[in-house]
Amino acid sequence: MIISRISRFISNFDNLLALFAGACAVLAVLFVLFLPLPYSEDQLYPKEIDESSPLYPYERGGTPFERADIHVQYPENSPFAGYVTAYLTPFSLALSRLTPHAGTTIVAHPGGILDEILYNTRGLDTVVETTILFIAFAIGSYLFRKGS
Amino acid sequence: MIGIGGQPLFILPFGDIVLYFTPFTLTLFIFALVFTVLVIISKPERQIDIVFGGDAYLAKEISISDMKFRRFMAIACGLASMGAMVTGDIFDFALFTSLVGICNVGIVAAVKSRHVQNAAYQYGLVAMSATVPLFAGAAIVAATTGTLSILQLALPGATKVPLLVKALLTLGVMGEGMAPFYAAKAEMFRAPGAPYVIMCSLSSLLIFLRVIEVVLTV
Amino acid sequence: MWNEYSVGLALVMISAVIGFLALLREQDDLHRLLIIDLVEIPSLAIIALLGTDLAEALILPGLVVGIAELLALSQIYVTKEGLRKRPVRGLHIEVVEHAHAPVIIPALLVGYGIVLSGFTGGAVAALGAIFFVMSRGSTDSYELVEMASGIAWAAWIASFFVFMFFPQYWYAGVMGAAVGILVKVAAKMTLVGSMWGEAE
Repeated sequence: MIISRISRFISNFDNLLALFAGACAVLAVLFVLFLPLPYSEDQLYPKEIDESSPLYPYERGGTPFERADIHVQYPENSPFAGYVTAYLTPFSLALSRLTPHAGTTIVAHPGGILDEILYNTRGLDTVVETTILFIAFAIGSYLFRKGS
Repeated sequence: MIGIGGQPLFILPFGDIVLYFTPFTLTLFIFALVFTVLVIISKPERQIDIVFGGDAYLAKEISISDMKFRRFMAIACGLASMGAMVTGDIFDFALFTSLVGICNVGIVAAVKSRHVQNAAYQYGLVAMSATVPLFAGAAIVAATTGTLSILQLALPGATKVPLLVKALLTLGVMGEGMAPFYAAKAEMFRAPGAPYVIMCSLSSLLIFLRVIEVVLTV
Repeated sequence: MWNEYSVGLALVMISAVIGFLALLREQDDLHRLLIIDLVEIPSLAIIALLGTDLAEALILPGLVVGIAELLALSQIYVTKEGLRKRPVRGLHIEVVEHAHAPVIIPALLVGYGIVLSGFTGGAVAALGAIFFVMSRGSTDSYELVEMASGIAWAAWIASFFVFMFFPQYWYAGVMGAAVGILVKVAAKMTLVGSMWGEAE
């Protein structure tokens, strides 16, 4: 009796999202109850803050075309890790000499720790990510063209 | 690394993300590969409605461009499941899984029937909200253990991942396409075009098998 | 044992619970989509709580996945509800209407985007391109933009393989990836920004 009522509720796909959201909410409440979790101090790519640097908060250590010291998971797999981190374009190099606030736009320029992670050491992540964008865009544009 | 999957047969490193092939993941990988090849070479079938009590029947017309689009989505879904089978990084696994989810939506989204589209939309909403536990679980793994690599987490001395984090990952994968949420897919199966629709359930099955291996290993 | 990380996690999880409860009660399809977009913010916050450079690099994929699914689902919603006729008027700002002056603004934006390069640059350049499309109302060269997007994607994958198999040429890799992402993001955002139906 109760089973048939449950299965009727589940088989209506309008209730699907509510069911999933309920499961997520229950799990999140459980998570808060079990909370104090240890934070591992030995993290990959640790962040160092040096407020005096003109590249703050993206001071990466090292000068262009030298290797910066970064903590990667498998150093043997990326023998040239650290070069991209230290690289600055001529434009951003000039900017960092002119002003102490070059760090606010530095993420947008080629080179730096984020490019190192996104392109080099965890490049496959970004490949998958752009593929997701590509697939979603394909769905959207196909439906759009079919509609018009 | 004597886990459920067995010893890695070989390892394919891409920087920090290391793909590994154990007998378990290799089997699933070959399964996904064979099915993707089948999708590429097979011809779509037509759905025929037969009227009971008479000899009337009508074949549903599906345009070529619809079929091309759905074949493309099915192939992408196969590639995504292959990636999810062999990746050795938890965040990368989460990304591949959400790629499988959005491909599944894409396979059925091209169907003209309003009923099917409503099912696809509801399923897409679940898949989208499933990215929350999935990515949250992966990030908490990184914070509590200091690494994302499954091979590192499987080492005997490694910090163990808390149970609730494993539950988060599993719930995320379920949302991307499994178990009780299968209900919406039964509606999707009314969509015509056989080999492509089967890719949805196959990929869901594969990612679910794989997340069990991941959860038991770390 | 209540370290900073656990306190932050508790706060974010509570906000996620609030979001999920809202999702539980909501019946309207469009509102569900909007609430899910809201619920994704706690997941980004959990990634950010990691507090390392890795966290910043993981937020980007997380964010992009959310945006991509939102794009696809909203288009499915439009098709599902049969919202075919979406007459949209072009921007009725006096300067924008068919004057030669606005060409300078897109040119400046695209130029600045190229200087920036990468994701941000692509977004800035796309803003310029959308502005150009809006002011001109021309929709002829979409195939060209789509092709540019595809070629940029291929360039991006090529530089990924440079990084993986010829790491000594890292400079070529980083430049290829930066330019590829610039063109790809610019093209995608231009198309998305002008995908709004025919002008009256």
